[in-house]
Amino acid sequence: MKRLAAALVLVALLALGACPALASTPGTLLIWADEVRSQVLLDLARTFEAEYGIPVRVQEMGFGDIRDTLNVAAPAGEGPDILVGAHDWLGQLVTNGLLEPIQLGEKADAFLPTALEAWTYDGVLYGLPYATEAIGLFYNKALVPRAPATFEEMIELARAAADRSQGIYGYALPIPDPYHTFPLMSAQGGYVFGPTPEGGLDPLDIGLNTEGAVAGVELFDRLIEEGVLPVLDFATMEGLFVSHRLAFMQTGPWELATVRNAGIDYGFIPIPPINGQPARPFVGVQGFMISSFSANKLLAQAFLNEYIATTETMLRLFELDPRPPAYLPALERIDDPDMEAVAQAAAVGIPMPAIPQMAAVWTAWSDALTLVANQELEPKAALDDAVAQIRATIEASLNR
Amino acid sequence: MFVTQPARPGPRTAPGGRTRPWRWAVVALIDGLALWAALWLASTGAWLLLIILVAGAIGINVAFLSERAYPLRYLLPGLFFMFMMVVYPIVYTVYVAFTDYGTGHILTKAQAIRQFESRLYEPPGAPRFPFTAFQNDGGDLRFLIPWEDGRWILSEGDQFQPVDRDDPALIDADGDGVVDGLAGGYRALPTLGLMRHLHELQERVFHYDGVELRLASLTQFARLSPRYRYDPAADQLVDLETGTVYRPVNGYFTSEAGERLTPGFRSLVGWRNFTALLTNPRISGPFFRVFVWTFVWAFLSVASTFGLGFGLSLVLNDPRLPFRRVYRSLLILPYAFPAFISALIWRGLLNTEVGVINQVLRAVGLGGVPWLTDPLWAKVAVLLVNLWLGFPYMMLVTTGALQSIPDELYEAAYCDGATSWQQLRHITLPLLMVSVAPLLISSFAFNFNNFNVIYLVTQGRPPIPGAGTPAGATDILISYTYRLAFEGGSGTDYGLASAVAVVIFILIGTISYVNFRMTGVLERVGEHV
Repeated sequence: MKRLAAALVLVALLALGACPALASTPGTLLIWADEVRSQVLLDLARTFEAEYGIPVRVQEMGFGDIRDTLNVAAPAGEGPDILVGAHDWLGQLVTNGLLEPIQLGEKADAFLPTALEAWTYDGVLYGLPYATEAIGLFYNKALVPRAPATFEEMIELARAAADRSQGIYGYALPIPDPYHTFPLMSAQGGYVFGPTPEGGLDPLDIGLNTEGAVAGVELFDRLIEEGVLPVLDFATMEGLFVSHRLAFMQTGPWELATVRNAGIDYGFIPIPPINGQPARPFVGVQGFMISSFSANKLLAQAFLNEYIATTETMLRLFELDPRPPAYLPALERIDDPDMEAVAQAAAVGIPMPAIPQMAAVWTAWSDALTLVANQELEPKAALDDAVAQIRATIEASLNR
Repeated sequence: MFVTQPARPGPRTAPGGRTRPWRWAVVALIDGLALWAALWLASTGAWLLLIILVAGAIGINVAFLSERAYPLRYLLPGLFFMFMMVVYPIVYTVYVAFTDYGTGHILTKAQAIRQFESRLYEPPGAPRFPFTAFQNDGGDLRFLIPWEDGRWILSEGDQFQPVDRDDPALIDADGDGVVDGLAGGYRALPTLGLMRHLHELQERVFHYDGVELRLASLTQFARLSPRYRYDPAADQLVDLETGTVYRPVNGYFTSEAGERLTPGFRSLVGWRNFTALLTNPRISGPFFRVFVWTFVWAFLSVASTFGLGFGLSLVLNDPRLPFRRVYRSLLILPYAFPAFISALIWRGLLNTEVGVINQVLRAVGLGGVPWLTDPLWAKVAVLLVNLWLGFPYMMLVTTGALQSIPDELYEAAYCDGATSWQQLRHITLPLLMVSVAPLLISSFAFNFNNFNVIYLVTQGRPPIPGAGTPAGATDILISYTYRLAFEGGSGTDYGLASAVAVVIFILIGTISYVNFRMTGVLERVGEHV
């Protein structure tokens, strides 16, 4: 009998100890964030817990994994209360019914209007925005005498700085990478999805083979042919820039830390206008969301409004991950020319389309750029093919 | 006097006839795990899995505790795990292939209904009510709201009652005109003090004068009422605000006018995903080309890795070669590194512009090779990378097999005057194949689905000019499936991807079956040697 009792106790202990540790449970907040943000959130969590006795747990995950995991985990009852991500996840997550609307109340006025717009889907706000980002142009001051005012001037400076026999390149962007190439296409009127009358995006109005888009890819093609733009991937481009072998690098503020740590005397500016037209990059807005499967929706909402939407927290987030805050009181406190450049780039930018149909765009678009870069197809033909592929994919799914 | 008895299968009991304690521990451990899993499954509503789990757990208990079920004791855990890890995923994949599971259809119908029923709406223009919260030492909460008509209302349980401003229950201790306490030891809570009660309050509905009030934020009550009600008898969802009726159609609650509510839910769609494979030109167009390359890829991968691995093991098996162990250890290294890392390093080495391989080729005057950008060279590149990753395995298994071939056979052959080639052809190969052939078949099946190498080295690229779909030159079926699943027209499409997975499963199953039949023939050859 004693043994039976002991076995039962063992069973009970195991059952208790093994209860799923990380799921949304009433009275406890669970946050999913990537490694940078989780550092800030862990500090906040400790303060919050000390003040209110409400435990806040922060689970660190890869940035991209957060969205994919949520799709599976939330319906299975294992999701978080709050998650941190990018606004272009909205389409998929809202369509899947995984997000809860956010109410900012009076604090709404303290946020950058474009950031709130980016986090609005079908007229409903689903995220508390905290940082905006858009790509710009890094230049190495040791290789380039001055910051160019126009794209054409930049190309001249790049030509002058390049010396292929020494392995020194003038101007680079990752290839094939639609995200980094988009400003060339948008400057002359290219777009991904056209607007609907209701203010959403029309998945069947695809603007990647319009005249402006083709003109942009023709420019891209010409620069490759003339040897100004080498066909490199991201890691190679980054490696060249931090080893003083690249004059201009077209990428975003996430590279600031790497470039600063490498001790490069650099400048960061918005991509200069092409033919007098602003080169409009995609704008991404990072933010906090609440899961619709949260057991603590009100608490999560209050935590965001009272603890995240504060100048102090926003500045802490900025320190660890320098991107211009979307919270205006924090933005005003920052005096950093690089952040100003990012903010300027974002001001003329186009929010990354958030509709789920965007998933069908990337590969076809990227393939078109590859074929042009390899000189296998003319820009017009390549983009026409890409748009036909995208349209066929989207139509097939809409007709269901 | 003790006589040792021959061991016999049957009840194993410790001296004294009691069951051995370790058995209790094992059963306790398994039951603990099962109980944990069962609680978890019950909380998520996965009833089918729960039933299977409980049945399995009972089976294990019977097998371990009943002496008659003794032989089952060693079989059952294996069977149980095989069911959970192998059979169940296959059954589930087949099931998903017949559903619309994917973006927009992630939730089950019950979950979607629960979500709709939990949605609240606020009548347009309805005011929100700031409030003061009070708490006594027992933790009970009461709320005081200045109501629309200028009166104040005070909560008692879930019911609000009007209260006069000079009611003695309202206490203004410091006389500043603000109520800071209630009779019965209630003190006003600061706004943030409500934080730790939010998770209880979010479910509570308060009533006043026929109006439903809910806490809308830390500072406000609002007139929030449920937006939708589900009628299980008629299987329809009613919008309580507008009166619109929604019925389930194609995985969405759809109104008469065709308006769909998001989120949709998972529903069975019959053979739709399979017919799409045949009729949708986007899918069926490149299917044949991808299919052929998948075979070529799998065959050449096996042939090249086996060829190199076998060659090396033959050389290293020769006792006249010095430092054999050192060579062997070095040659196993590519196998010891994680394939993910090796594949990514190779991707860098093969870069057309700045890759080391092309730099070396240029330095010796051969000119660069468009490794990852030309359709043919990209195929060569992935095969070479896979050769690097795969030959050590083949070398290991053939070394083992070679060493098990008795030397007498070679001595006899030598005496009979057989040449080395004849020895290889008539002794080594047939005997080797007995043990290695099944491994070659499994290697074929593995490479048929070798997503890692393809995806990490070329991602299925380079693209094909003028193609109607984004299938690349090195895409194999599984990487193409990945594309279909995650780059669909509306996001992800697990249903369609599962349908392709089922097709691949049937293909590989058939090929392996045929191959094993052929191996059976080889085995008989082996027996006669």
